[in-house]
Amino acid sequence: MLILKPRFSFDVSVEAEITPELATKSLEEIKSFKVWYGKFEKNLDELFEISKKGDEKKLILDGNLSKVKWVGMGMDDGEIIVNGDIGANCGAFMRGGKIVIEGNADDWLGAEMKGGEIAVRGNARNLIGCAYYGNTTGMQDGKITIEGNAGNYIGEKMAGGIIEIKGSAGDFIGTEMKGGEIIIHGNCGFVGGDMKSGVIKIGGRFDLLPTFRKAEDEWTGDVLVGGEGKIVKI
Amino acid sequence: MIEMLWIKNGIVVDPKNGIDAERMDIFVKDGRIVSENEVRKEDCRVIDASNRLVVAGGVDMHAHIAGSKINVGRTMRPEEMRVVRQTAGKLRASMGRVLLTSPAIGYEYARMGYTTAVEAATPPIGAPHTHEELDSIPVVDKASLTVFGNWHPVFKYAAEKDGEKMRAFIAWALERTKGFGVKVVNPGGVEAWMYGGNVRNLEDEVPKWGVTPKEIITELVNANEELNLPHSVHLHCNNLGVPGNYQTTVETIKLVSGIKNKSRQVLHITHVQFNAYAGSSWRDVASGAAEIAKVVNSMDNVTIDMGQAIFGHATAMTSDAPFQFTLHKLTGSRWVNKDTEIEGGAGIVPITYMPRNPVHALQWAIGLELGLLVDSDKVVLSTDYPNGGPYTEYPYVMAILMSKKMREKELERVSPYVQKATSLPAIDVERTLYEVIEMTRSLPARVMGLDSKGHLGIGADADIAIYNLNPDDLDPSSQYDAVNREFRVPAYTIKDGDIIVRDGTLLKETWGKTYWADARKKVNPESIDSDLDDFFTNYYTVERKNYGVAEYWMRKPERLEVK
Repeated sequence: MLILKPRFSFDVSVEAEITPELATKSLEEIKSFKVWYGKFEKNLDELFEISKKGDEKKLILDGNLSKVKWVGMGMDDGEIIVNGDIGANCGAFMRGGKIVIEGNADDWLGAEMKGGEIAVRGNARNLIGCAYYGNTTGMQDGKITIEGNAGNYIGEKMAGGIIEIKGSAGDFIGTEMKGGEIIIHGNCGFVGGDMKSGVIKIGGRFDLLPTFRKAEDEWTGDVLVGGEGKIVKI
Repeated sequence: MIEMLWIKNGIVVDPKNGIDAERMDIFVKDGRIVSENEVRKEDCRVIDASNRLVVAGGVDMHAHIAGSKINVGRTMRPEEMRVVRQTAGKLRASMGRVLLTSPAIGYEYARMGYTTAVEAATPPIGAPHTHEELDSIPVVDKASLTVFGNWHPVFKYAAEKDGEKMRAFIAWALERTKGFGVKVVNPGGVEAWMYGGNVRNLEDEVPKWGVTPKEIITELVNANEELNLPHSVHLHCNNLGVPGNYQTTVETIKLVSGIKNKSRQVLHITHVQFNAYAGSSWRDVASGAAEIAKVVNSMDNVTIDMGQAIFGHATAMTSDAPFQFTLHKLTGSRWVNKDTEIEGGAGIVPITYMPRNPVHALQWAIGLELGLLVDSDKVVLSTDYPNGGPYTEYPYVMAILMSKKMREKELERVSPYVQKATSLPAIDVERTLYEVIEMTRSLPARVMGLDSKGHLGIGADADIAIYNLNPDDLDPSSQYDAVNREFRVPAYTIKDGDIIVRDGTLLKETWGKTYWADARKKVNPESIDSDLDDFFTNYYTVERKNYGVAEYWMRKPERLEVK
């Protein structure tokens, strides 16, 4: 197990592609793991206080990490616990394991993830489980749970897996969705534009384009692209 | 001071001068190739080229490297910009997977031993932007071809069969756009696209103009030949990307039978791979390459380039706006449509060529058929970058044209559809090193009318590539891996007598020239004055006096006065 604490309050973004795998390395290797502080390449040790307790694949991040990006990128297994806020791209491309964020998450949470689980106790911002700009497929499998609210662009081009938001969300939910499930317990804006398949379940109010066919408490579309996606009221 | 070079003991292949793997020395002074007695040997920097292949720098005569199309492509494909080739240091940062940034374009050409590249389609109104970008491409010499085929004044003069005004217009337009030659893209078709249509054959009338593609092509070829521009008309045929289109291509080629020019072709048909489909739909599409090759080989005034498809990522971008819409509908991929006022249009669609996809495999095979079946003094190696794929894969194309074994190996991984739909598996031709050097150096230079390029004769520009290949003990047929590898990493790339690349590493950045053709002395500019005023007043968003590119805006303009 590895515990990381920022040595100081970061003025610019830190790009730290750290995964639980790091906890299995020797302390020396961990200390000299390369991360970016703005445009400068740094050793992990220069930015974080590091303490290692055994080889368990577990990472605990304490303090304000809202400027720390790419945590858990591409991780295969193990666990990351963030005791605070986390920066953008957390859990992007992850294939397995678990990330628990006690605070809030920034943009691109779990972008293009293929497996594993992300739980956010606070709020999350935009582009959860989306495809990066230009890419054709977003989240493919796994689960993202947000206890609070979320921003815009949720599950764009998503092809599998589940995104559950206990609070409300913004606009453009499941745009160009190809599969999987998005559940929003609160309210949200426009849903399902250009969706081909998949299910979006909504508890509160939401906006819908006129290109969906209505059945009782259920809509199918987006007709514009010959889609058979479902919007379901819960 | 530019130093003198003595390239010693190299094995020279120089098809223009009939030199096939001869051991000889080459001398360079003031950026040109000179004879031995013009240099003082003790002052020369000596380059030991023993057992190495010495050839002229490569000439890419058809690539989309600058201007609004590639730039919109970059904008619409952020995923292309995630490949960092080089971070900024002594040289500039260079990025891009297939769609490269401007610095990357120049660097990657130089890294491959190419020293000249021609932007294949400049919408006239986009010329200022095109030249801004050409000026940002380091190392290589450049030129741009101005697109004429759907320009309203061209329709007018073609319909009126007014050769004098057509010539005056071409001369005016090339000067304003600082263009090098006359590019024609789907003549009439892009105008029809303004009404949601296209033209389907050479006799189809262009809406509201009463002029046909056939008339547009013939009038432009006649005007081009009477002006005697360095380059011929450079034609992207009608019906591109449509099964059965090889017939249109054959008919188009035959339009120029009887027209002669003693130094070059009178019509260049470009990226023929996209125009060489037989069949009536995508279900029964097949190769029409053999028929086209037969016609091209039977004529002595037509050249083509391959437009080879390379498996992997590519971006279709042409001034053929209706075709791009068809492609977007076919693939479901993103699409941008561009409108360039009364001059034409353009479209951009990302594409990925996949070996197991029957159509993509067919395109790959047709490109190779053209490269193998057409005489090596009539077919230029190209990928129509970035339409068929990256130009950085030219070494792959060179290697595969030289080796049947390599083709057999590749055929194992591509869709079996090509076995019945093309003649590629049955073709035994293996291009020689001499022929491949011809297809990448001397021929494209001749087709473009760039006399000082593509060869190593006395007086030629000192654009030289030296590769770690020894033609004396190279068997390209079996050593295709070596060919494919070594043509990517020249031991030296020399541009204007300057050593730019050493063992595949860029040493420095220099700036090449931008050629443009000035034919104004051969025409009467007053003859179109009132017409131009009329076009600009009534139809353009810019005023005539604000239109075009001034020579002093350009980094290194090179005016070729047409005699």
